[in-house]
Amino acid sequence: MNDIKTVTVIGANGAMGSNVSAMFASFGNAKVYMVSRSIEDSHAAAEKAALSVKAGTVRNNLIPVDYSSLDYCLSVSDFVFESVSENEEIKKQVYYLMHNLKENVIISSGTSGLSINKLKKYLPENVHECFFGVHMFNPPYSMPLCELIPSDGASLELTEQLSEYLSEVLRRKVVTVKDTPAFLGNRIGFHFINSALLLAEKYKDNGGIDYIDAIFGGFTGRNMPPIVTADFVGLDVYKAIVDNLYENTADYQHEYFKTPDFAEKLISNSWLGRKSGKGFYSTVKDGETKKRLVYDIALGDFREIRKYNIPFVGIVVENLRNGNYKAAFDTLQSDKSQEAQICKELLISYVIYSLFSARESGCNASNADTVMAEGFNWVPPMALVKAFGGKEKLLDMIRKEFSSSFENIDYETLILSAEFSDYDYRRYLKAKR
Amino acid sequence: MEKVYVLGGAQTDFERNWTKEGKGVIALLREVIEDGLADTGITYDDIKKLNNQNRIACFVGNFIGEYYINQGHLGALLTEVNEAFYGVPSARYEAACASSSVALDAALTKVRAGDYDLVLVIGFELMKTVDSKTCADYLGRAAFYESEGKNIDFPFPKLFGRLADLTVEKYGLDKERYLNNLARISEINYANASRNPAAQTRKWFMNYEQASTRGTATNTSVGGMLAVSDCSQITDGAVMVACASKRFIDEYKCGNTYPIVKGWGHTVAPITFDKKIDMAKEADCVLPYTAKAVELAYDKAGLSVEDIDFFETHDCFTSSEYAAISAFGITPVGEEYKAIEDGTISFTGSKPINPSGGLIGCGHPVGASGTRMFLDLYKQIAGKAKGYQLKKADNGMMLNIGGSATTNYVFIVGRDAE
Repeated sequence: MNDIKTVTVIGANGAMGSNVSAMFASFGNAKVYMVSRSIEDSHAAAEKAALSVKAGTVRNNLIPVDYSSLDYCLSVSDFVFESVSENEEIKKQVYYLMHNLKENVIISSGTSGLSINKLKKYLPENVHECFFGVHMFNPPYSMPLCELIPSDGASLELTEQLSEYLSEVLRRKVVTVKDTPAFLGNRIGFHFINSALLLAEKYKDNGGIDYIDAIFGGFTGRNMPPIVTADFVGLDVYKAIVDNLYENTADYQHEYFKTPDFAEKLISNSWLGRKSGKGFYSTVKDGETKKRLVYDIALGDFREIRKYNIPFVGIVVENLRNGNYKAAFDTLQSDKSQEAQICKELLISYVIYSLFSARESGCNASNADTVMAEGFNWVPPMALVKAFGGKEKLLDMIRKEFSSSFENIDYETLILSAEFSDYDYRRYLKAKR
Repeated sequence: MEKVYVLGGAQTDFERNWTKEGKGVIALLREVIEDGLADTGITYDDIKKLNNQNRIACFVGNFIGEYYINQGHLGALLTEVNEAFYGVPSARYEAACASSSVALDAALTKVRAGDYDLVLVIGFELMKTVDSKTCADYLGRAAFYESEGKNIDFPFPKLFGRLADLTVEKYGLDKERYLNNLARISEINYANASRNPAAQTRKWFMNYEQASTRGTATNTSVGGMLAVSDCSQITDGAVMVACASKRFIDEYKCGNTYPIVKGWGHTVAPITFDKKIDMAKEADCVLPYTAKAVELAYDKAGLSVEDIDFFETHDCFTSSEYAAISAFGITPVGEEYKAIEDGTISFTGSKPINPSGGLIGCGHPVGASGTRMFLDLYKQIAGKAKGYQLKKADNGMMLNIGGSATTNYVFIVGRDAE
């Protein structure tokens, strides 16, 4: 691998393209050619990139260009990062432009879902072994996770060198993942999000979306509830990820990647979430103030968000506020209300599916913790096992109360063989609804 | 006089914003105490037993919880953490940003005097409860509020900007060279913090170019010639340190060796900056009382700068770290730039300053910073600093200041020769 002094980012005007350019230009102190279709877009992206790392001087390392300069940029670059739209056809066209490359160049795709081995076929054969998936999370300045996906046949030595560059120089938390659908972080994260959406459909007569989000508030180990998160990332993005997982996985949770009918309906209306003003939630003006509405699945329309009376939630939040984590989890574990059971079952499912997916992706439990902490800022699965009182206590609860839900997976072996990481559950469990 | 042994302790992650987590002061104290007890192998039952024999006391360092969290009587708060603290002597100590050093001072004195065998010192501050302007106003009470804080936006950057002016003037420095030296100090602290898993800024980007380009949108001027890159930033945090007598070590920790407290020095300069300037005119350095506190600590320990392997200093602003370099004796007065330019104070240098990242890198929860430095001395000497462990760390010195270098507190912690 060359010293990474010059980088070309193709598709630099997108959110990831510009933020990733900033990583190379700041921590990497590399000269970065930012390529997009129009030079104006590249200029705007360069300004944004420097601000994303809060350092105006980084702008000096960013060189906005358009495709007319691509050949030159490629010929001098030690690292080429492709970040164009998540569309195989578009990526193919870009890869066909990649000749005249510098010797020992690294070529990477920032794709979050397309197969690295499939994309590799569009590149000249002589650079196949230098091609990697480098999947960062948005915004990378505060979400340091970087999934590194070597294509088949990539040399171990080069993979290690690249991993070292990404972690030591670019300061990413690197997890090397096999070329599996949606890789690891999104597979686990969107399994959880879609499970929540399916629960919203199942419990639509109890309130649906905001009912389920009330059960999975910050106190369950995340900054925002899962369906609010889906609304935030965009319903189109959410659907692309779960569709990919539905089409390309066939594991014991296959049905949990099916987009519920009501979500399909919202998407067909172009209600794509926060960015389009409407989605699972909506914000409307009410005189001087703004009012948050939620889509009521049973009603087929938006209504005001309800304040659900879920007693265990109040007790858990109060305990967390005072740092009584054990008392909080004891409350959750002993509560047998419908809501507490829903909560526990999905949290357990999260732990088991994380461990299962990690294994599928050639990773271990500790890697699963890393991806969820550093890419989603969620309580990592094995840290959650600790919060539940440890492996034996959790297994005991599953056996007694939830065994029928997990009968098609050997959860005992998965949990018992998983190692704990250094992640601490406390900071992730917010004293918030 | 009894020897005082440092058993260890714990620090919360200074990146955390406890208000955003929805958590209050009891959660903060509970976490740091439970982690500190786990680190030192002390249990709540030990605390109860020792208290039945009147051999344990607690010392809480905090600047101004009355404003940030509407809570006074902070020594008594420990009783909300665990009932093991019922009956245990505990009080709060305050000296602005040196609050937890004066808590340490009281604690160590009582062990030296033989009054108690185990002392727990807890420094903390929750500051993210208010917006930054309000926060800066509260901090103005660490200066002479009536003339230096009231109705002044962000008073402290202005005071330490004046220290920068004073330094340039008194030592006849080239201003540009001085500012570049300050930028290097900032760069070193950020780089060191990137190795420290509990530092506020460990994920942040800062380099020399950014730090030396002041007065821009991303590095705004804050006071005189200083900009944001010259400042430490406030945060939430708590630190617990446990210290003990030989009796305790023999009884509870038989066979173990621990670092000991070798020296200390405590001075108080005139509280207003105007009077500090007057003093500096007469003295040979810009902060004579800071230098005096260092000198007292060397005298108590019978050590000199040659014996000290590393320093943790109070870089609330780059200008205060600059002044500390000669106060420590690393260079003669007025030649501080040499230690910066030749790499002496960098992580791999011969006299590294702030291997932890200091206040600029770690963040500055004011009431916790003194204990944070003290704990970092312990970690280096005990070989427990992990990613930021220095190769040689037999003796370390810390300087914690309160106000505009008004209260000066210095400790030397080192390996026990016996």
